[in-house]
Amino acid sequence: MNIYVLSLGFGLITASILAIASVGFTLQFGVTNILNLAYGDVMTGCAFVAYLVTRAGGSLPEALIAGAGTGALASYGLNRFVYTPFVRRGTRMFGMIIVTISVSLALQNGLQAIFKATFFSLVLPRPSSYTFAGMIFTSQQLVIMGLAVVAMLLVHALLSWTKLGRAMRATAADPELARSCGIATDRVIDLAWLLSGALCGTAGVALALNVTSFTSTAGGQFLIPIIAAAVLGGVGHPYGAMIGAVVIGISAELSAAVISPSYKEVVAFLILIVVLLIRPQGIFAEVATQKEVVA
Amino acid sequence: MSSSMQFYVSNLLVYLGVDVMACLGLNLQFGVAGLINLAFIVFQAAGAYTASVLTLGPSSSMGGFQSYILGAHLPFPLPLLAAAVVGGALSYIVGLIALRRLRTDYQAMVMLVISLIATTVVTNATGLFNGSNGLALIPRPLQSVLGLSPVGYQWFYVALTFACTILVWVVVRRITGSPLGRTLRAVRDNDAAAASLGKNVTQMRLIAFVSGGAIAGFSGAILAQYISAWSPGSWLFPESFVYFSAVIVGGAGNNMGAVVGAALVPVLFLEATRYIPQFGYPGLVDALQWVVVGLLTLAVMWFRPRGVFPEKTRRFARTPGSEPTP
Repeated sequence: MNIYVLSLGFGLITASILAIASVGFTLQFGVTNILNLAYGDVMTGCAFVAYLVTRAGGSLPEALIAGAGTGALASYGLNRFVYTPFVRRGTRMFGMIIVTISVSLALQNGLQAIFKATFFSLVLPRPSSYTFAGMIFTSQQLVIMGLAVVAMLLVHALLSWTKLGRAMRATAADPELARSCGIATDRVIDLAWLLSGALCGTAGVALALNVTSFTSTAGGQFLIPIIAAAVLGGVGHPYGAMIGAVVIGISAELSAAVISPSYKEVVAFLILIVVLLIRPQGIFAEVATQKEVVA
Repeated sequence: MSSSMQFYVSNLLVYLGVDVMACLGLNLQFGVAGLINLAFIVFQAAGAYTASVLTLGPSSSMGGFQSYILGAHLPFPLPLLAAAVVGGALSYIVGLIALRRLRTDYQAMVMLVISLIATTVVTNATGLFNGSNGLALIPRPLQSVLGLSPVGYQWFYVALTFACTILVWVVVRRITGSPLGRTLRAVRDNDAAAASLGKNVTQMRLIAFVSGGAIAGFSGAILAQYISAWSPGSWLFPESFVYFSAVIVGGAGNNMGAVVGAALVPVLFLEATRYIPQFGYPGLVDALQWVVVGLLTLAVMWFRPRGVFPEKTRRFARTPGSEPTP
């Protein structure tokens, strides 16, 4: 069996989780202009909720719904009751990044205080495995990939064909103009955070599902590939994040096979650094340029 | 004072000195120049590592139980100075990548990534950095020459640290009080306006970044020489955040604020609480400590965003006759 084909399979799974997560991350940035560095820790929280559900005898779909719901509510609450008040109070970008890191630190260690710094895994029946063109997938990993495809199609449909999606894009492009055109931007922003939070929660459960065990730092560690995928695609741009996720996910797993597993993360980092050096606005530059991320 | 009490107090004072130096360096970057260097701890660690390998003898003479580069066995002040140089040089390289063209929160994100890359590379590059085990048995400066008692040496080190802290304070004051400091604040407050007055914004940011990085490296060297060990596990990303928290609590942009913040946050919270009784399961107090640091920072950002000692609002001196006549 070819090791490269095998790792391509792993890459597809990583890319699936990354795609769900980075689309959520990029949406939050696009609509509210906040780089939410607590994103990974919200993912962890959702993974723990899914763990509790499965421990209480819940099935995988139930765990996924609970995780996505927790993510949606937590992200909505975080934006509504922490980030927005700070922005209204006049905390600038400069300060907002500190605010999101404070939240991240408190959340991560709060979870650790509650659950202890040990290893957890979702309590689910042993999955069966399937071989497919030299790649091996468990049934759970197939679920993850299916979820990613469905989530991406839903996001695409929402953004391009619904009124809400158009309102979201308008709010992201120019909040002032959107408001003066009669769009209730506050409500759109709330809905955007609920949606991106649901993606965040789903990604958190998928992350927990894919690893043999996770800890309270799992989501925080996953934040960097998420950022890398979002930045590579052009931050704020959902389709860019999808492409970024595929590139980062597959190249990380392939480099694990070619170089060494311990450098898996470094490759994602290096891609990020190179992108920042050469084209910091990413592949799809519209949002990044318009929000003046890059001078 | 009993000798254990003397150890306790002197230990805390050394940490205080190191944290004050680090906060002064970070304040120069964050408070004065507005750079969110979330990789601050990396530059401190780099300085600590440099000083360690320059103080240690050749790697082979240790029976091969730890591997590292150089092993120059240099005498006392040289490793500390080299640490500052390496901290500054590394900052220059990182600054060239991160400080061009990017928005401040984007810069911060890049720094966060750099911090995590550094940890991964260091723990994996066993030949260069001895992996996650780090270095041990680093000779303490002048210990063999002075021939002091253990307690006596503790106090000698406190004096050394304080002397270095004063040196750093003087250097930082020279920068912040000069026209250069004014330009840095102008770049922080409105980079477009500063650029329109002919100031090279990127260059100004680099100056603050490199000076802060050199101070970080220097403070790291003092710490590593004191504990005579160096391990990548004690220089992780959250440690940078403790310094941020300290500078924010003390008052970003104000050197006095940085000193007070260093005494309040890292020393009181993270050092002094090591001596309070542990409760709950092992690790609970540590986790709660971090929750408190996070919430404290949020609270200060909300209730007193300019910190305990806010930066002085600087005004033009009013010269007689320059006031507009009503």
